[in-house]
Amino acid sequence: MSGATLSPAKQRTGSRDGVKTYCQFSAVTSIFIVGLILVTLLIQSGPVLLADNNGLLGTHWNPDEGLYGVLPMLFGSVFVMLIATSMAFPIGLMTAIYISETRSSKLRRFYKSILELLAGIPSIVYGLIGVAYLNIWVADAFDLQSGRIILTAGILLGIMILPTFLTLSEDAISSVPLKFRENAKSLGLYRHEIFKKVILPQAKSGIAGAGLLALGRALGETMAVMLVIGSLDRLPSPLFNPLSSGQTITSKLGREVGESAFGSVHFSALVFMSLILVCITIALTILSQYYLTRKGDHV
Amino acid sequence: MITSIVDKPSMFKKYVPVVLAVCLTACSAPEAVNLSGSSTVLPAVSLAADKYTSETGVSVIVNAGGSGSGFNQLAEGQTDIGMMSRDITESELKKFDDLSFIKTAIGRDAVVPSISSEIYEAGVQALTIAQIAEIYSGRVDNWSAFGGPDRAIFVIDKEASRGTRQIFMGVVLGNPKAEAPGADLVTGSNNEEQTALTQSDAAIGMLSFTWLNEDVRGLSIILPNQQVVAPSLENIRSGAFPFVRDLTVVTRTDTKTAAQDFVDYLLGPEGQKAVEESGYIKVNE
Repeated sequence: MSGATLSPAKQRTGSRDGVKTYCQFSAVTSIFIVGLILVTLLIQSGPVLLADNNGLLGTHWNPDEGLYGVLPMLFGSVFVMLIATSMAFPIGLMTAIYISETRSSKLRRFYKSILELLAGIPSIVYGLIGVAYLNIWVADAFDLQSGRIILTAGILLGIMILPTFLTLSEDAISSVPLKFRENAKSLGLYRHEIFKKVILPQAKSGIAGAGLLALGRALGETMAVMLVIGSLDRLPSPLFNPLSSGQTITSKLGREVGESAFGSVHFSALVFMSLILVCITIALTILSQYYLTRKGDHV
Repeated sequence: MITSIVDKPSMFKKYVPVVLAVCLTACSAPEAVNLSGSSTVLPAVSLAADKYTSETGVSVIVNAGGSGSGFNQLAEGQTDIGMMSRDITESELKKFDDLSFIKTAIGRDAVVPSISSEIYEAGVQALTIAQIAEIYSGRVDNWSAFGGPDRAIFVIDKEASRGTRQIFMGVVLGNPKAEAPGADLVTGSNNEEQTALTQSDAAIGMLSFTWLNEDVRGLSIILPNQQVVAPSLENIRSGAFPFVRDLTVVTRTDTKTAAQDFVDYLLGPEGQKAVEESGYIKVNE
């Protein structure tokens, strides 16, 4: 008797517990996967870290002589990322402001759908366009023998991360509630004042998040960069010369991972480079979270 | 209505084994032969593979990736046959010393020092090996040094594992793995290198013989005795051109019959015809 009356309630808590366990399990699995990747990278980096005279912090990469200098690749990655972001961020932010502040929802939807389409184009397509056109234009513009240089990779990457950054920062700006704008307007502020003093502080964290995602994509992009950067494992000379060929960590991995036997020191050196890449991404994430929460407290 | 509801699960049960069986046979039944490796060997092999598939029904999957990658994939068991346009190096053999490999030459090819057509037409048509070495080691950086226009030399290198590069550097700098400090750009496949040479008007690079065309011209080589050897079919066949090499397919001694059959086909009349049609020189008459 009592069992029969209690059973529906029991069942409900039972299924609720089930859902809870399932969610917990999923969360733990996700964390476990992240941890597993890090541990795998660390273990696989072992052979090169333990190898004698590995020259890891040098500029010479020659697996045949046991030299694995990662500096040219590391520098290339950071340099290309800087060019890409310094191109994409101003344009992206200005366009985002334009789209959201013109406030015609029809136009906004039109723009957004096109931009989101851009974000979905596979990177190899950008790469092919880069090889076929962009690198020739760049070569002509600077009177170079080949457009397969760091600058071309930076520009191409800038175009690739633009839609991601743009649509996310536009979302951030548009999601500022209407009442803020109206209150500000009723105080007699000009439009640019409203934006600078009211909207921007509210949307700041969202824009920063968009920037971070774009940075992540810039760092991780392989195919398109590989096709246009020139694959030269050498520091440019002079150092900040974007007109010379270079190499990023990802393009190096893309070029060489097929030739290195699993378990060899060569392979391990490639894994070590990807570990560096992952560490940079993690550092960026932590930094931005710290920055965002600190800003959040002030508001 | 009721019967159909009752029927559904039993129908489902009945079909599961059938579907599973179909899936399994689909995965395992056609004994596909997998090849990967040198983009130099690839045109001949894929031409032969098309014929082979239409004749026998055995599917042959051919992928590029370079000689180094071709050997690794074979050794790691991802493919059945590796295509290589150079010898297997000792360090490669050492990495897989528990396996043994069989090399079979299916054709012959030459690596040709290639230059942009603009330079060729401006008069630079033959160089000595030492002059090419000076370019790649960065000691000479202008075409005017060789009687060409006053234009900086744009030096194109290749990825270290590429067969074409190892043959080229073996002759030019005396070591297949030598670094080239004079390089301005590094490319991968013949295709990529050809594009870079075409897009430039002052470039030097290295290409397999069949990849030359009116935009990318092959240099003749001036031998120490002042004899000039052009990269022609006759000179390659006779071995007079210094950069001649064998195009090989590599198998493991524990290879499957389907793969061995395809290797035999490559050496047979049809396979050799494909080698010739791709612009290379056949090994079996």
